[in-house]
Amino acid sequence: MSSRVEILNDGGYRSDGRRQYELRDITIDLSPRGTADGSAMITHGLTEVMVDVFGPREAKLRGQTLHDRALLTVEVGIVPFSTGERRKRNRGDKRILELAATIKQTFEPIVQTNLYPRSEISIFVSVLQQDGGLLPASINATTLALLTAGIPMTDYVTAITCGVHSTAPLLDLTTLEENDLPHLTVASLPRTFKVTLVAMETRLHVERVSECMKIAGEAGKVLHQEMKRAVEARTKRLVQAMDMAPRIGGVGGGVDRDVDMDEDNQT
Amino acid sequence: MSALISISKAEKSYIQSALEATPPLREDGRSLYDFRSVLLATGVAPLANGSARLNIGKSPEEGGGGTEVLAATKLEVETVDGADAVDGGRIVCTVACSPAAYPHLSPNALDDLQHDYTTTLHQVISHPSLHPKNLGILRGKKAWLLNLDLVVLSDAGNVYDALFMAARAAMWDTKVPATRAVQYTAKGGNAKKPADEIEKMETEGDAPSGFDTRQIPSATDFDLPDYWDEGEVLSGRDMWPLCVTLNIHSSAYFLDASLKEEAAAPLKLIVAFAFPSTSPPRVQAVRLLGPGDVPHTRLKSLVSEAGKYAQEMYNALEVKLRDEDFRRNQKARNRFAQR
Repeated sequence: MSSRVEILNDGGYRSDGRRQYELRDITIDLSPRGTADGSAMITHGLTEVMVDVFGPREAKLRGQTLHDRALLTVEVGIVPFSTGERRKRNRGDKRILELAATIKQTFEPIVQTNLYPRSEISIFVSVLQQDGGLLPASINATTLALLTAGIPMTDYVTAITCGVHSTAPLLDLTTLEENDLPHLTVASLPRTFKVTLVAMETRLHVERVSECMKIAGEAGKVLHQEMKRAVEARTKRLVQAMDMAPRIGGVGGGVDRDVDMDEDNQT
Repeated sequence: MSALISISKAEKSYIQSALEATPPLREDGRSLYDFRSVLLATGVAPLANGSARLNIGKSPEEGGGGTEVLAATKLEVETVDGADAVDGGRIVCTVACSPAAYPHLSPNALDDLQHDYTTTLHQVISHPSLHPKNLGILRGKKAWLLNLDLVVLSDAGNVYDALFMAARAAMWDTKVPATRAVQYTAKGGNAKKPADEIEKMETEGDAPSGFDTRQIPSATDFDLPDYWDEGEVLSGRDMWPLCVTLNIHSSAYFLDASLKEEAAAPLKLIVAFAFPSTSPPRVQAVRLLGPGDVPHTRLKSLVSEAGKYAQEMYNALEVKLRDEDFRRNQKARNRFAQR
């Protein structure tokens, strides 16, 4: 009758052919970009987010520095052609500021900022394409970018959206589903099973929340595996490259990679 | 515009004296007129009408580095009686710089830089001499607004050339949806009768009808025919200009400067050329940027030299664009047929 899309049909399939708990495919690219210390690009379904991390470095605005820990700054940029309708969002846009603040709050307890007093860690998020799950994709990409930058964190942060269609929970919503369903975004720590962010902008029945949280936690573990695999592959490549490079001033083979400064000076 | 990075006096003189040596030397071993490798892909933004991603100087081993620009066009329908809308459509270019490309710049400085790039690009690309013919929908009523958005994702020098190349590729890739004029008649069974193609409607208006007011095109609206094709290409797509930046240092000049070289030789001459298929190349814009001066007598030879390099760049890009077209249409269709 109506032209509305069926969110979940009788066969248990969603509008893009996925099952209830099925995630869209994720591609992770950790190749370095520009002068960034760490960068990651995540393609989650049709959502594409690129994150660059700079730091720890001297703060751009010296007045903002904190004497006991590093300052975390997040800037979000959304390219105008990332959505169906062209829309130019400026830096001062409320939506963008909110997204940046949410990412910042998510990572503040995880990043060990107390190791770098009076410095700044800047995170630049650029959104190239959006099809639902913008916040989770940004959080996942930020985790990976921080990891590639070598910034100490207590755990991975993995985020996912979970929506509810009548009583059936759905994972990883597209824009189409996000517009129609109440949903919450959960960022969890897969090793300690803690949650650092729960965001919801719509109404959801109390009885559904616990189920959603449970499933989102499970999905977080799956994401963790995926992200860990990408990080490990990158590290393996780096180690190989280090082995191949000629050692400067060293006499030993490529076995001991840690070069002691004093020892190196003596030879 | 000052240099984007600051280098020490010693490094500056090192780069400068290397450029003055015989033979001239550059930090990455290129000769003065060599470009770094240019990578291009079109159709990278699925929601845009045309798009391209361009990289100059990506390092082959690490898979990173280089100047990277993303360009995309998006078409919007405008009602001509609006404030900005123009009959026959218009083009608006916007350049945005990712803060990750310029991590040391303050937000205000970044805005200034974006504005510099936007102005140059908009002035050249939206010039009436390059305006495509098929951006009008209904004469005097509706027209397409073409938004060309460019994003500088990372800067490793020579941004202007990259911006123009990416803009050209994105415009080349742009498809304008086919439209059909619709007119309403009061009487009769079919209240909504599709009129002829839009081209026909326009010639109808030109009919020397004297005082016969019935000849005025009565189409009031348009619809998009449901068709598998994305539409026709933007007319005059061979015309979109390319730009060559000559970085001038004392009596010599060099192409495709890296960031450090731009800081050491801040005077640059930017020349944009269009290459019409029937007539000789046209100079679309000339800008002299940075501190310093060029003797009047030298300018002419510099512009003609730039034309030579622009022609080479044009030929190479043309081959690549046709190749991309082939990859995305012909090959994709073959692959689909083989399944």
